[in-house]
Amino acid sequence: MSSFDVSEVIRSLPELWIGLEFTLILVFTSLGLGTLIGLLACLGRLLGNGLLPWLCAAYTTIFRGIPEVVLMFWIYYCGPLLGGVRPSSLIAALIAMSLYVGALLSEVFRGGILAVPKGQVEAARSLGVPEFWVWTSVILPQAFRVVIPALIGVAALTVKVSGIASTIGVTDLVYQANIIAGQSYRYFELFTAVGIFYFFILFPMSMLAKVYERRLAMRSR
Amino acid sequence: MEASSATGPREPSMAVHLLQEKPGVWQSLRALLDVPSVALTIAIAAALYYFIDWSQIRVLDFGIVLKYWRPLTIAAGATLLITLGAFAVGLLLGVGLAILLELPIGPLRYVINAYIEIWRNTPLIVQLFWIHFGLPVVTGISTTALESGSLALTLQSSAYLADIARAGIQAVPRGQWDAASALALPVRTKWFEVILPQALKIMIPPLGNLAVSFLNGSALLGVLSVGELMTVSAKISDYTSRPVEIMTVTASLYLAMNLLTTYLTGQLERFTGRRP
Repeated sequence: MSSFDVSEVIRSLPELWIGLEFTLILVFTSLGLGTLIGLLACLGRLLGNGLLPWLCAAYTTIFRGIPEVVLMFWIYYCGPLLGGVRPSSLIAALIAMSLYVGALLSEVFRGGILAVPKGQVEAARSLGVPEFWVWTSVILPQAFRVVIPALIGVAALTVKVSGIASTIGVTDLVYQANIIAGQSYRYFELFTAVGIFYFFILFPMSMLAKVYERRLAMRSR
Repeated sequence: MEASSATGPREPSMAVHLLQEKPGVWQSLRALLDVPSVALTIAIAAALYYFIDWSQIRVLDFGIVLKYWRPLTIAAGATLLITLGAFAVGLLLGVGLAILLELPIGPLRYVINAYIEIWRNTPLIVQLFWIHFGLPVVTGISTTALESGSLALTLQSSAYLADIARAGIQAVPRGQWDAASALALPVRTKWFEVILPQALKIMIPPLGNLAVSFLNGSALLGVLSVGELMTVSAKISDYTSRPVEIMTVTASLYLAMNLLTTYLTGQLERFTGRRP
């Protein structure tokens, strides 16, 4: 039993592939929807008036402050309250992850926009640059450059969080590994394989984030 | 924790500065009636009102939570204890690893870096399963859910904290290192009385972010039924078949704990004098 049996992993590759597909669906959909939600929440918070910034701030605080597992279970069970139908586990996981990623990204975007020096905006305005161009050619390009490492970090976090969707029954990589390992009792082999797989996705991302961070630090010096 | 690294400077007046306005009583009153914002707020409220199934909301009975307040409070305490324990041990391990990284021992550095990167770049849920189900097959030592859960949290936090501690140590100004060696301070004095106190101060803000993310991560231990808040609330919601109420309260409890952690970190930062 103690020998490491790679053939077990190779034999279960087709099942793991199905899991990988679901993991990728979760990651890419929630990143896409999350970007949209994050942009809206960030703009609402920075440019809105009255209740709107407050609402956006409440959204980011709440969804960043609740553990992802609890969020998934909560949305899975609260589905019937909103719209009257129980969402499938995939839909619930997608909604939960999109809202979570959206909250993270709205903070990232806000941080980037706030990091643009005030002088830049004031200079552009005093030169009579139209407001549209102040945003598209002064604020956003500079904000984007500052934000790149954090964006990669959020993407990596999304990959890590996607594994949690297995707890509400989405057949992602972790779920499939669990099922296969439960049948053959090859937990060590399968979870080592899954871990290595995640590592190969996440390690390049964190290296890339570090490179960008170093480059930013060089520039600001 | 990665996400919050770019929160930028704390300037509450940014929205105002973007709109070229100075805040005053009348301006903020007028701002409250700003047409697009009010329209959007009303639209959000209307959409919520339309989509929410009010007949089901009326059936909700939060009294059930009051009945189970004792196990829920104890479980929340358990969550705090597990997180705090894992974090404290992780901090010791992490700072130790970061110090070892600064020492000129060649191969050791590669080993420690590999350790840090492996724990940082795999999901916690995979680590949990690997430690709980995988390791016993190899080592022959079976661990209880609580043991493997705490072990996973501790090891992962040690890796993250080593990374933060390394950054903190490297952020201590060069002059301090030079002064320490110019005075020929003994190694212990140099580390424990010159470098580490300053490094720890620098580490406080990322530590706070990490504490929040580990509190959130500890909810994942519910997968192994460790007996903390997530486990207990899942059991109660199964038993009473009132998942909506229980999960809402659980989520609020986690939120409260996280906000408290954030607040305390801010206070600590102020206390150590890094923020006015």
